[in-house]
Amino acid sequence: MTAVIAPPQIETTYLGWAKRRLFASPGDTVLTLIFGGAMIWFFQFLLDWAVVNATWAEGGKELCREVSGACWSVIGARGRLIFFGLYPYEEHWRSTFACLLIIATMVLSCVPWFWSMKRLPVLWLSGFGAFVVLMYGGIFGLKVVTTEQWGGLSLTVFIFCAVVVIGMPLAIGLALARRSKLPVVRLVAGSIIDLFRSLPLLTILFTAAVVVPLTVPDWAQGNKLGRVVVAFALFFACYQAEIIRAGMQAIPDGQEEAAAALGMKYGSRIFDILLPQAFRNSLPSTINQFVITFKETSIVTIIGFFEIMASANAAVGTGEWTAQYIEVYFFVGFVYFLFVFGLSRYGAYLERRARLSNVR
Amino acid sequence: MSDKAIQLIDVNKYYGQFHALKNINLEVAEGERVVICGQSGSGKSTTIRCINRLERHNDGKIIVEGIELTDDIDALDEVRREVGMVFQRFNLFPHLTVLENCALPQIRARGTSRVNAEKMGLRQLDRMKIADQACKFADELSGGQQQRVAIARALCMEPRIMLFDEPTSALDPEMIGEVLECMVNLAEDGMTMICVTHEMGFARSVADRVVFMAAGRIIEQAPPTAFFENPQAEETQVFLKQIINH
Repeated sequence: MTAVIAPPQIETTYLGWAKRRLFASPGDTVLTLIFGGAMIWFFQFLLDWAVVNATWAEGGKELCREVSGACWSVIGARGRLIFFGLYPYEEHWRSTFACLLIIATMVLSCVPWFWSMKRLPVLWLSGFGAFVVLMYGGIFGLKVVTTEQWGGLSLTVFIFCAVVVIGMPLAIGLALARRSKLPVVRLVAGSIIDLFRSLPLLTILFTAAVVVPLTVPDWAQGNKLGRVVVAFALFFACYQAEIIRAGMQAIPDGQEEAAAALGMKYGSRIFDILLPQAFRNSLPSTINQFVITFKETSIVTIIGFFEIMASANAAVGTGEWTAQYIEVYFFVGFVYFLFVFGLSRYGAYLERRARLSNVR
Repeated sequence: MSDKAIQLIDVNKYYGQFHALKNINLEVAEGERVVICGQSGSGKSTTIRCINRLERHNDGKIIVEGIELTDDIDALDEVRREVGMVFQRFNLFPHLTVLENCALPQIRARGTSRVNAEKMGLRQLDRMKIADQACKFADELSGGQQQRVAIARALCMEPRIMLFDEPTSALDPEMIGEVLECMVNLAEDGMTMICVTHEMGFARSVADRVVFMAAGRIIEQAPPTAFFENPQAEETQVFLKQIINH
């Protein structure tokens, strides 16, 4: 007769957890104490600097001499410059609304109800259209604000969204072309991908901003921001295309065969059967690519755009607040963190969701 | 309308240098049940995959329900509407529920409305005795259940011909029975069927004709009694001995 073995008892209290995870052996105890101490010291320091010894008072920089910690007054004084760049002062409300609008569009497109080939493009076209109307003006009595004057957070968010919205369909097209049965199509797609991946982003953006006006006839140039965004989108698309292709390769051949045998046409096989599975397979890498792209938007500084990083530089560059650069960079870092952390949390939610619908 | 559902005339198929099908001639009448058997690599799967053009034949003629298979896409669509297929590895769409698996192809390939497509889906799932699993995802089901869903999905397109490519080979032994039972029911309803299988019991009780293939050729074809009691070719005799002794 077999003896019944009781399941191992696991301590579920906090004390039991700490004992198992942190103080299981003398070595563990030493490590826990060292790293615990270091963490306490670090967070204590951060808290003292950022909160306890800091000031938020509004006013000039003389306030900063009175505190040993962070002087957040700089954000109050220069915040508008950081958020809006060179955008005309009286029109800042437009930039604010435009930014909120595009963020709302991003949040809405995260809701599964919008994930269809009809709804998602409609959502983005209207969100984007409204953004451009608000920012650029020229109709509804809004003053025209040219793209050279756009800046700050709304420019960062605009570049990111435009790159993803233009780049994603391009990426899908390139990925499909690269697995085409027609050799010419396959070769062209492969060459484009390999070419753009082997060039540094900076070179591509420089070419779009500076070289294209010299070589392309005027009527085909568009404006500088437009050229840069399209070039950036192409760069994004080439990476994303390979991510999608990898996701497609993981799908067994039988999936497409079954769809074909059921009489489903090419478009339906791709959009109903292959791509949904490919996106699911490549979700972690796709979120990764989004995060990288969001942070890489700061590169456009170099070709003369005042996105949030450049306007932060300008905020401390005027002499008056030069000493407060740590506070300003800290603040900008926090804004980036909010976006990127939001993206990765959303990615984690999608993965959980995909797993649920697979195995629930 | 001719009473021939499928005609293969002098069909040849190459994979690179490899001559996979050699002068295949096969006729299947409406309502006939044909079982194709043979060792793996003998070309039996390739033969039925040519019938709905998952593989392109290089030479010869394939005529399905009066339509010749060529590069003409419209003709191919028409053929695929008439021919359902069931695969060894089920190939259910994992990102869709069982019911969506049945409904989506009707909506996309025939323009059926969602309501009617789901109605048809439930009816065919019920016929395969698996309607109670309609809201689950494929990988929550056992192999036998998945294969029955795959059959239901194919039947939703109301095909006149069903192709089975080793439908029970990937199944655990205790699940083979439930799938075969569904196939027997289908045969009794008068469906034209071509089935590649190693299930000789099924061949004996259901098939009108057994075709034996070896090395890309059809070696012998006969009604099941004659085929099993009195095989003519030496290869057939060897094959049957292996199957029965294993």
